[in-house]
Order: sequence, then C-alpha cells, then structure tokens
Amino acid sequence: MFYNSFEVWWWPFLFILIAGVVPTSVWRWAGVFLVGNLDETSEWLVFIRCIATGLVAAVIAQFVFNPTGTLAELPLWLRLGAAFGGFGVFLVTGRKVIVGVVVAEVLLLTGFWLT
Amino acid sequence: MMLLNSDQVHSNNEDQSYDWSWYLQGARNLFSLPAFILLSAFVGFGGLAREAGLPLAHLIFLVPTIWALPSHLILLAGIVSGASLLAIAPAVALAAIRMMPMTMALIPEIRAPHTKRWHLLLVSNLVAITAWVHTLQKAKDIPRRGRLPYFVGFASTMAIATTVAAALVHQLAPSLPPAIMACLYFLTPIYFATSIWNTARAKAEHIALGVGFVLGPIATWYMPQANILIAGLLAGIVAYALHRILAPKIGTE
Repeated sequence: MFYNSFEVWWWPFLFILIAGVVPTSVWRWAGVFLVGNLDETSEWLVFIRCIATGLVAAVIAQFVFNPTGTLAELPLWLRLGAAFGGFGVFLVTGRKVIVGVVVAEVLLLTGFWLT
Repeated sequence: MMLLNSDQVHSNNEDQSYDWSWYLQGARNLFSLPAFILLSAFVGFGGLAREAGLPLAHLIFLVPTIWALPSHLILLAGIVSGASLLAIAPAVALAAIRMMPMTMALIPEIRAPHTKRWHLLLVSNLVAITAWVHTLQKAKDIPRRGRLPYFVGFASTMAIATTVAAALVHQLAPSLPPAIMACLYFLTPIYFATSIWNTARAKAEHIALGVGFVLGPIATWYMPQANILIAGLLAGIVAYALHRILAPKIGTE
C-alpha cells in the first residue's frame, strides 16, 4: 500500500497516521507504561538518561553526516568543521548555547561562500 | 457534588489539581532561543515539503500529530520515493525509539502526586527533543503541580507555531536561497548538542553524547536501516558502564 494507492481524500491522512504517527508515538506510550513509579533519584534513571542521550546523539550525527536538502550539497569537512568549531567555542567560553549556535552558523556560511 | 468520589472528598484540593498558571509560563517560551531554532527547522521542513509536492492539508496534519522532526523527514523521504507503507513504518519506528527513554526520563520530573496514567499518555504525545531538554533543565525551579502544565504549555504552543510556520512557507515563500536553507538545517544539530550538554546531570551523559556522535556514522556505514538505534544504544551502554566503573574514583558530577 502506497501514499497514492487510493483516490479517496482520507487515504493520505490514514497513511500518515499508520506510517508516521503510530510508529513514533507508540514509543512514547511504551515509556509511560514502563516508567512505573520510578522516582527522580533512581539509579535506573541514570541509565535511561544515558540511553536517551546516546540515541539523540545519533540523531545529531545523522543531521551532520547524512543531512537532507541543501546541507547535503556542502562538503562533509565543512559540516564537521562548523559543528566542532561551534561546539568547541561553546565549551571554552562558558557554555552559552547561543555562542555555539552563532559560531557554527558563521563558520558554515563562511565556508559556503568560499567553496 | 454527589459525583465526587471518596478520594476527592477526603483530600485537599491543593494536592488534587495542577497549577495551570504555569501553562502560560511555558507558552511564553515562544519567544526564546530554543523556540526560534525549532521554528527555523520547520521553516526548512515547510520548504522541503513544498519541493516534494506534499499538499498543504497533509503537511498541517502531519507536523503536530507526529511531532518529531526525524520522523517527519523519514516519512517525507518515503512518500517522495514512492515507498510502501510496510517500508516506511518500520523505518520511522526504528528512528523514533529514543522517544521511550526520553519519556521515561521526563515523567519522574514532571508528574505530580495525583497524576494519573492517562494524563501522561496524553501528554507523552508532545515529547520531542526541544521541549524535553528545556523542561528537564527548568523543572527543578517549578513547583510540582506546575511542571506538567509548563511542559504542555511550551510543547503545545511550539506544535501550533511550527505548524503555522511550515504552512506559511509552504504557501507563501519564494524558494529560499540555498545558503539560508543550509543554515536553517544546521541550527538543529548544534542546538541539540549544546543544550543537551548543559542539561546533563552526570558525566555519563556527556560521554553518551560524544560516543553516540562518533558511532552514528560508523553504524550508518554498516547498518543503514538501524544506524540510530545501534549507535545510540551502544553509546548509552558504554557511557553507563564507564559511569559505574569510574564514578567511585572521579565522582559523577
């Protein structure tokens, strides 16, 4: 079954629901059932936060290494350089998120115009 | 009054309700750095959806209901390439597994003593990286009864605002210059990385962030279908193991 399999108006909405909404939210519902009465100080929560952070890090890597759209047309060294440059300056200048974001964007734009 | 059950009659109203004034405090973050970055990402997504030929009504439907940018991108790519339901759904599910530990980490922070499971089931649909990181960071400064309303206020406002932004770009904007599109996309990863670094409670989470970033592309090379899952799980396990081995020696903070 495909996005344009049926000519009725509601089919694409049902398609989005089954192919996108349920496969995403089912994990959120599973989280609600699995968390039980775990409290903030539980050692389990340290482990769960590690797994969550690791998974988000893999998503970040996806954005940098295998992006979609225009970003994909820029060379990998430029994407990596801008990301590490921004993150590095963020780390050494008192960990202000805005600093990391601005430095990374300036590096990316500079590289964009030079290449 | 006759309909009140005995629990409610015998307990004080203070403990049995949320403090919804915090909803507005959450919603006010519409004018903040994380909101600006998330809106920028969805301006980019609106442009991508238009290039892909996705009708406006479908865009407006899928942005808030799925409410997870990586899932949006995978679904859109699947639709564009003409992939079948049976190919897209598992790909979306694999990339969305992070929602489970994210939800589990958030709930102990935001639930109040009277919170019911169905409240959490409803609210969990709003869990996504930006509001999750932000709420984890702010929760300790908010009274218990205000935390869930704060999260819902921020996340639901962002869901509406990003849908409007994506729809506007889909309808109105001329094609954005490539340099702008590239910059809009690049905001997301650098914002995620820096804000998660700041929200981490233990060194283990910093290790998980670094290891996940390095393993991501390696896993993509070996197992393109399950890259995020494999890299993320391994990174989390390695980080936690190091935390257990090293914590007694160097401390966890």
